[in-house]
Amino acid sequence: MSALAEAPSARRIAWLRRRRAVAGAWRDYRRHLPGMVGLVILVLVVAMALAAPLLADEAGLKAINSTGNPTWASPSEFGPLGTDGLGRDVMTQFIWGSRISLLVGLAATILAMVIGSVVGITAGFFGGAVSAVLMRVTEWFLVIPFLPLAIVLAAILGPSVKNIILVIGITSWPSTTRLIQAQVLTLRERDYVDRSRALGASNWHLMSRHILPNVSPLILANTTLTVPIVILSEATLSFLGLGDPSNASWGKMLDDAFESGAVTLEAWWYFVPPGLGILLVVLAFTLVGQALEEILDPRLRDKHG
Amino acid sequence: MRSIHRRTLAVAVLVAALITGLTTISAHGQDGSVTFDVGEPQGIDSMSPLIGVVVPSFEAWNIQYATLTDKAAEDFHTIPGLAESWTASKDKLTWTYKLRDGLKWSDGKPLTSEDIAWNVNTSRKEEWLNHSAVTANLTATAPDPQTVVIKTSVPDPKLPTMDVYILPKHIWGKLSPDERDKYAGEDGVGSGPFVLDKFEKGQFARFKANPNYWGGKPAVDTVVLRKFNNPDAMVAALKTGELDAAWDIPGAAFNQLKNDDDFVTNEGYQGSFSEVALNGGDGLKKGHPALEDPEVRKAIAHAIDRDTLVARVLDGIGKPLKTISPSANPEWVPDLSEDTSLDFDLDEAKRILEDAGYKDTNGDGVREMPNGGEPLKFTYYARSDGETGPKVAEFVRGWLDEIGIATTEKIASDSELTPIIGKGDYDMFAWGWTPYVDPDTMLDYMTCKQVAADPDDPTNYYNDANYCDPEYDKLYAQQKVELDPEKRKEIVHEMLTRWAHSGVYNVMWEEPETIAYRKDRFEGWTQQPAETGPVLFSNTSPTYAKLKPVSASASGDDDGGGSGGIIAIIAAAVLVLGGGAWFLSRRRSADERE
Repeated sequence: MSALAEAPSARRIAWLRRRRAVAGAWRDYRRHLPGMVGLVILVLVVAMALAAPLLADEAGLKAINSTGNPTWASPSEFGPLGTDGLGRDVMTQFIWGSRISLLVGLAATILAMVIGSVVGITAGFFGGAVSAVLMRVTEWFLVIPFLPLAIVLAAILGPSVKNIILVIGITSWPSTTRLIQAQVLTLRERDYVDRSRALGASNWHLMSRHILPNVSPLILANTTLTVPIVILSEATLSFLGLGDPSNASWGKMLDDAFESGAVTLEAWWYFVPPGLGILLVVLAFTLVGQALEEILDPRLRDKHG
Repeated sequence: MRSIHRRTLAVAVLVAALITGLTTISAHGQDGSVTFDVGEPQGIDSMSPLIGVVVPSFEAWNIQYATLTDKAAEDFHTIPGLAESWTASKDKLTWTYKLRDGLKWSDGKPLTSEDIAWNVNTSRKEEWLNHSAVTANLTATAPDPQTVVIKTSVPDPKLPTMDVYILPKHIWGKLSPDERDKYAGEDGVGSGPFVLDKFEKGQFARFKANPNYWGGKPAVDTVVLRKFNNPDAMVAALKTGELDAAWDIPGAAFNQLKNDDDFVTNEGYQGSFSEVALNGGDGLKKGHPALEDPEVRKAIAHAIDRDTLVARVLDGIGKPLKTISPSANPEWVPDLSEDTSLDFDLDEAKRILEDAGYKDTNGDGVREMPNGGEPLKFTYYARSDGETGPKVAEFVRGWLDEIGIATTEKIASDSELTPIIGKGDYDMFAWGWTPYVDPDTMLDYMTCKQVAADPDDPTNYYNDANYCDPEYDKLYAQQKVELDPEKRKEIVHEMLTRWAHSGVYNVMWEEPETIAYRKDRFEGWTQQPAETGPVLFSNTSPTYAKLKPVSASASGDDDGGGSGGIIAIIAAAVLVLGGGAWFLSRRRSADERE
């Protein structure tokens, strides 16, 4: 038989195995109802964010282009979602706001994951003095209450989307580090790692070929669980007036609504959509994250049968 | 009297503030005494007239300290105060005041001409913050306990008005000048209708009626000025009957209260105005080089639409204004309605920039300097205190963007912005003033000597455009000694027109004090000036001494009108707190997963 004649290369075997694993995980995922609900919501929101230029004119975000609109018009009087105190269309703000909220959510999460994983793997793998120093730094970040630290950083750096990503990124990594480090501690004692080391593999090889692939499901699951926290953080900072004033996110919309007295005026159409938007995205990411965690983490899978 | 001051509205950010706003309760009708509760969102910064600068502090001093001469509620003309009569020498340089009989401080000590002479002379010598504008050229003597003689070294159009707060010499005079500068002034001894009972900075100030007030003990026993961090919470407290009156109500909520039968709303004009100022470049640090070009300033002036700002930022509660209003009295403002050189016209603005050589050579939508190629990108400071700052910034940014000028928006609290302005570390900012009755002080603030010059003390100056115009200074010196009111007015009008055309000070609007009070509680509300002025937080605050309860059954008659707002606020607080708790629990569970 020809299959016997040309033996598949090691790389090809690895690829086949991975493809099978992904297909298997996807099969499991599809059976996970909450996970699918979260995924559908996410796909819809991301589609809205990507299609923003087609759905609403960006010029409508500016107050100077909205002087013809009534102020505080309710949804029944104007458009699908009414207007704010400056006459700006709330629907336009909602659609464009999803971009900033998602952008900050994803970018800050990636930043936090990169820092968290690098520190976690390094600390777990090397142990000893390296681990002691890195873990003390991690614990220092962990015990400092998030909000005051983020507020101070945001106030010093000044309000811009880039800085908000930076601030949330560098305050959100420690829990990931703890998680990864614990996992790496068990991995590095495994026999195959010992064998690989005995065959002369370098630290870099061990970390990139054996440790990282084995913690990546954990990183992935943790990423999807960090995104909602980050999106909430962004909303919190924006709500406290530390967001970028020229780029409206959902958090900034809530801040505007609060500052302009929408609550007293009972102009619910200004604060309900961004609030609901944040709620849905956070919920969706959490559902997806928990589903991934269950599927990718064998211990959890056993627990849930 | 009242200083020109920066308005410092408190920023409303913390849920904690919301909750304190909801839980404080008023002391209506307990033990049969009458309490008048006023809500305000700024807070008294200091009870000492040597330190404080914000409007609520002046309100406190207005009711605690009487002045030698008072001002009529209807039109600010000078009427007897502690002095019941006065005469002038022929050259109008010497004025002799006769005090009322039997004047006493609230602690029972006699109030004599010694007190007044001491205040005039000490405030001049020590340059007290809120006195020296009036007393700088004055010397006072006390030939007998009921006579004060005041001499001025130069002709002074303000006299015989002597509207500085008279502080008790037997308390303030015991201190050394250094101690006086730092003294908190919370002794509660005064000569006005009410004196301080208890002061918690940032929360409330409680005043009790002064039985020794020369106008007689007021009908109200206690006055409470309560500070709210959140204007929305203040409005909710007013609606539920916790407050009898509230001041500085946001425009949208104010418009809503207009339609509520339980309340009287009062749009009280007294000359307060707001402006977009540019860095004129004569201070410690120049702004963007383009701002020194009058053509650029002219273009910016054409890019500010006052009508839209009033309609959208103030919700229509205000009047477009083109120049500084230097006085609570509108007579001092020149009529510039025919002057189109400051009108909104984006095409004209673009044409001016184009003709002056500011072209967008690299096609990024932002113009560059004619020679160097530096883009026209200005740093714009928006105030975080108060609710108009971000809204004005939103509009100004949009219009400047249209004419090819980019802005980098920065947000600063009032206490941060003051040194930034002093150091000249800005290109543009928006802020406002509330003037005195006499225009002299507001006019003085725009003179060359008020441009920051000492790098070690940059906040001790008032010319916040950092712009020096020697011609303006010349006119200022002329009006200061002009005793003919009509001639003086002409000079002042010329000065203000000049200043407006300089383009460094784009006045946007004149805004009223927004006050609402419950109909069913008190009567005796007095507008100052009559018909157009505010009933509270006015120049001399005459309302407090005149207030009387409407009827015995008036208090405690709450209705649920505001419950919707309160529920919404509670819901918002629950959402935020719930979000926080969820957030914390997430973090904890993330930790536990290890």
